[in-house]
Amino acid sequence: MDHVFGPAMGRRAAIAGATALGAFAGTAEAAGRVRYVTANNNPYDILDPHQVFDIGRIAIRLNMYDALVRWVDNPPKLEMWLAEKVDISTDGKTYTFTLRPNLKFHDGSPLTADDVVYSMERILGLKKGAYGLFSDVVKPGTTKALDPMHVQFTLNKPFAVFMAVLSELWVVNSKVVKSHVKENDWGSEWMTRNVAGSGGYKLRRFDPAIGFQCERNEAHFMPFGPGAIDEADFRVSMETATRVLGMIKGEFTTTDGYMPAEQVERMKASGNVWFKEAESIRTFYFIINSAKAPLNDVNMRRALSCMFDYDGFNNNILGGTVVRNPGIIPNPMWGAPADLKGYTYDIDKAKWYLSQVKEKIRPLQIAAMSGYPQSEQAAQMLQAGAAKAGLEIKVVAEPFTTLVPKFDDPDRAHDLIPLWRSAYFADPHNWTGFIFHSRNFKAGNSSFYKNARVDELTDQALVITDREKRRPLYEEVSRILVEDAAGIFINNTKFYGPYSKQVKSVRFCPIGDTQDLRWIQMNT
Amino acid sequence: MRLLALALRRCLWMPPTLLGLALIVFSISHVIPADPARVLAGENAPMEQVEAIRHKFGLDKPLPEQFVRYVGDVVRGNMGISLYTQRPVADDLVERLPATFELALYAIALAVLVGLPLGVVSALRRNSWLDQIVRLVTIGGLAMAAFWLAILLQLLFSMHLNLTPVQGRIDGWGPDPITGFYTLDALIRGDFETFFAALRYLALPMLTLAIPAMATIVRFTRAGVLNVMQSQFVFYQAAMGLPRRVVIWKYILRAALIGTLTQIGLVFGNLLAGAVVVETVFSWPGLGTYAYQSILQSDYNAIMGFTLFTGSVFIGVNLLVDVAQSVLDPRGR
Amino acid sequence: MLGRLARDRALLAGLAIVTLLVLAAIFATPLSNFPGDVTGFNPAQRLKPPGEVYWLGTDRMGADLFSRLLFGARLTILISVSATAVAVLVGVPMGLVAGYYDRWFSDALMRISDVFLAVPQIVLAIAIAQTLGPAIHNVILALSATYWPFWARIVYAETRSLRNEVFIEAAVAMGASPLRVMVLHVLPSIASSIIVRTTIGMGGTILAAASLGFLGLGAPPPTPEWGRMIAESREFLPQAWWYATAPGIAILLVVMGFNLLGDGLRDTLDPRIRRGS
Repeated sequence: MDHVFGPAMGRRAAIAGATALGAFAGTAEAAGRVRYVTANNNPYDILDPHQVFDIGRIAIRLNMYDALVRWVDNPPKLEMWLAEKVDISTDGKTYTFTLRPNLKFHDGSPLTADDVVYSMERILGLKKGAYGLFSDVVKPGTTKALDPMHVQFTLNKPFAVFMAVLSELWVVNSKVVKSHVKENDWGSEWMTRNVAGSGGYKLRRFDPAIGFQCERNEAHFMPFGPGAIDEADFRVSMETATRVLGMIKGEFTTTDGYMPAEQVERMKASGNVWFKEAESIRTFYFIINSAKAPLNDVNMRRALSCMFDYDGFNNNILGGTVVRNPGIIPNPMWGAPADLKGYTYDIDKAKWYLSQVKEKIRPLQIAAMSGYPQSEQAAQMLQAGAAKAGLEIKVVAEPFTTLVPKFDDPDRAHDLIPLWRSAYFADPHNWTGFIFHSRNFKAGNSSFYKNARVDELTDQALVITDREKRRPLYEEVSRILVEDAAGIFINNTKFYGPYSKQVKSVRFCPIGDTQDLRWIQMNT
Repeated sequence: MRLLALALRRCLWMPPTLLGLALIVFSISHVIPADPARVLAGENAPMEQVEAIRHKFGLDKPLPEQFVRYVGDVVRGNMGISLYTQRPVADDLVERLPATFELALYAIALAVLVGLPLGVVSALRRNSWLDQIVRLVTIGGLAMAAFWLAILLQLLFSMHLNLTPVQGRIDGWGPDPITGFYTLDALIRGDFETFFAALRYLALPMLTLAIPAMATIVRFTRAGVLNVMQSQFVFYQAAMGLPRRVVIWKYILRAALIGTLTQIGLVFGNLLAGAVVVETVFSWPGLGTYAYQSILQSDYNAIMGFTLFTGSVFIGVNLLVDVAQSVLDPRGR
Repeated sequence: MLGRLARDRALLAGLAIVTLLVLAAIFATPLSNFPGDVTGFNPAQRLKPPGEVYWLGTDRMGADLFSRLLFGARLTILISVSATAVAVLVGVPMGLVAGYYDRWFSDALMRISDVFLAVPQIVLAIAIAQTLGPAIHNVILALSATYWPFWARIVYAETRSLRNEVFIEAAVAMGASPLRVMVLHVLPSIASSIIVRTTIGMGGTILAAASLGFLGLGAPPPTPEWGRMIAESREFLPQAWWYATAPGIAILLVVMGFNLLGDGLRDTLDPRIRRGS
């Protein structure tokens, strides 16, 4: 009987296993199998890899789907995955990939270049999820399957991060998806609740209110190491206290790695949990709406940057679970200048900057994300600092859903918003060009920040493929953003992944943390 | 005949009431400053992606047209697609219904089974210490914030005593649905392990919902019994020499039962209201969490679907209560 | 009648609690140990258990919970009084007019209130509060928009039953205008029901407002709203048990106070509906 699941569940899973695993002679016995249970604080409501593009549901994509390339390790490295080799034309516009031989989907049918083409067309057609990553450079109909083993992308302009974002081109089984298409929906209704992928794990059960369960796909091209997980449960559990208690009692193998310091201590004290610590690439900062007076005045923004008690927030409130990050690019990421000097908490300096502001100073407003305690606490922290410098700030809390639409309109947008910038792909562009280039107003640049030099540098950096040539460009951008106080840059998140003692080792990568099951080794 | 007419009239009022409800909720949800298409597309999505979604869900049409189309669809049984779960709202509701009903039925059963006798005893022993305690607890039960009660119960039973789970409906996957009620399905299959597991999960949310319901029932039962006891009629029966036991069982309890029954409608309404908050605290995968999530996501169709559904259930229950009351108490009100 | 009032212990208890609440709200500043802690805070002192310095402990920002509770009392009064007042001001005239006349609009008004009563109040309130955005005045609006039908129904029913009373008919026969009859004759006769309903309604609005605050739809941080304080505490359970306990007890006491007061007033003012005792 299995103790991870609890007695009742072990029995039922054995029944399910007996039917589902009928093909594997003699392995239907649930007992010796390596089980893994994750408690997640986000619902897994949509399984379709092309409809969503977020960190909360990344386990679905990482484990049940494959892409041409994949991010591993920290700092993240891009590895060839479904593809064996890539040829990039000298003008940086044509990418030709050679697939690995004998790739198979979960249903046993071969994965070919046609499926890659269909997946790209599906993303462009659905206009959801990661669509924004590709829409600028890939047009429908331009992706070609040269033969079953070769696929060719033709970009309409050079795009240095194309390889980096291809990690979000999840390849779906085109024949299966096509058979479920209803009125040009690209099979999206069916794909919401089913999986047509090739990944290292196959879907066994799914219930949006509970989570999903998957089992190892023995036929996967990448062999599994010793102690690999046989079956895994990804459960939804919204309450922090439940997840912590579940870890302590051993009901969960792991849960999220961004808990409050007090809860980390509690789990450590139980003796049943060990932690994987890693500096992630997820910066926390205040968006400043620089389109609105007086925030269009650089001295106003600098004054604000001196009003935040960085040390009190990072070390007292968050108990040192984060690292001070003076710029927008996370410290461990290349392109972040090692010697960057940020602002410090200095009320006198803030007052001096305030005295230099030419625009008329008015009371400001912070919109904290309701339901995210750190965002609310940061808002209160800045409010208190500003009060000391004689500046009035009002705090409102809004759910993310009502914040987002206001990102489009500088007049409706709030003055200040404390939030995270996570890694979707590990390239400095994710933190610079994407969110500070003036071309991206209404599509990523929510601070309405405009600086001709930043635009120029980030454009330049996108057409060069050599990282060493791009590095100084991003370093300069990073310095300009601090000089200009384009945001109040606070910290970079540390990952404290709790694991039960059954887990021997994990491999952390900031994109998806440790949710890529195949790298986890269990004690057997 | 009068009964039939009453039922008929109430049934006839249902569609216009629901239509009015749809109109109110539609107006509320469509002035939401949030742009659901924008939310769905994601933070960094380009405008054309947002437009595509808006068009797909008909959000680019004028509001009156959207409303008329919606009502027409609902009449045909189509409540639209949830923006967030991407599935038909009707399917979502049906899927989450058993969880909420199982919880609500257990809570009502507990409330009645405990509340009714307590109310009767409390009335029969008026002003005794028992009566005083019951009254105090009742007043407290009605004044307690459900979410706070939930947290207290979690603190005590889950975190300190380690007796019940903090939240959720079952450890992992529920039994394959027959009725969708986990406890019932487990019993049908003879799987007692699952049955008791499900009960442990039910315990705290059920208690949280049952306590205010119980308080209401105690109050009304007590008042009802006292009323009957003081009536001339009972006085007369007692004077006629009928034993006290017979008077209590035959007359007083009957009156109390009717009094309680009229409260079931009210209690049920409070339960549904409480479910939104209580299910959220306990992550109970029912209609309440669904409603709360959809409101936060500005998921128009889901909000409308939930509201109309709750409205119909609510009106239906009240109708049943009225009919039952007329049958039990032919004197009318 | 005053004697009766004094004899009713429940009513006295209710009165005492409500008076305490009002006093706490008025004298929040001199009563609190750390009046500055409502907006300012002290990260080094966060999550301290109750003790000599912090009587009820501190919260996640290191602010004194006792001080925050006192200032929260102001908010509680503000929300419940304004929301109830608006609901009364809308509901009572509607019920009065609908009950006094027997025209098409009487039916229409009552059917409209049916629509509002067809779903649990909190569901509508959540939807409205979410639509308008989290702020105190929006909570007030959401609550009054959903609670007015209760007053409309009660006033309607009472007015209906009074319409054929001799004194009303006499007033009409004397040539009094409908407005005069409604305001000078009907209203005073039903005032006691309205007062009782309003007192109990205050308790209801406090609970509902706290629920909205708990769900993150109420006042934004750092407002010391009781429901929000409980929501904030969840992340730190079970260690910081005091964090949820203090505001929870405050809500319980205050709502109980209004309910006791309402019950007591009903017994005293409204002899028709009397509790058994």
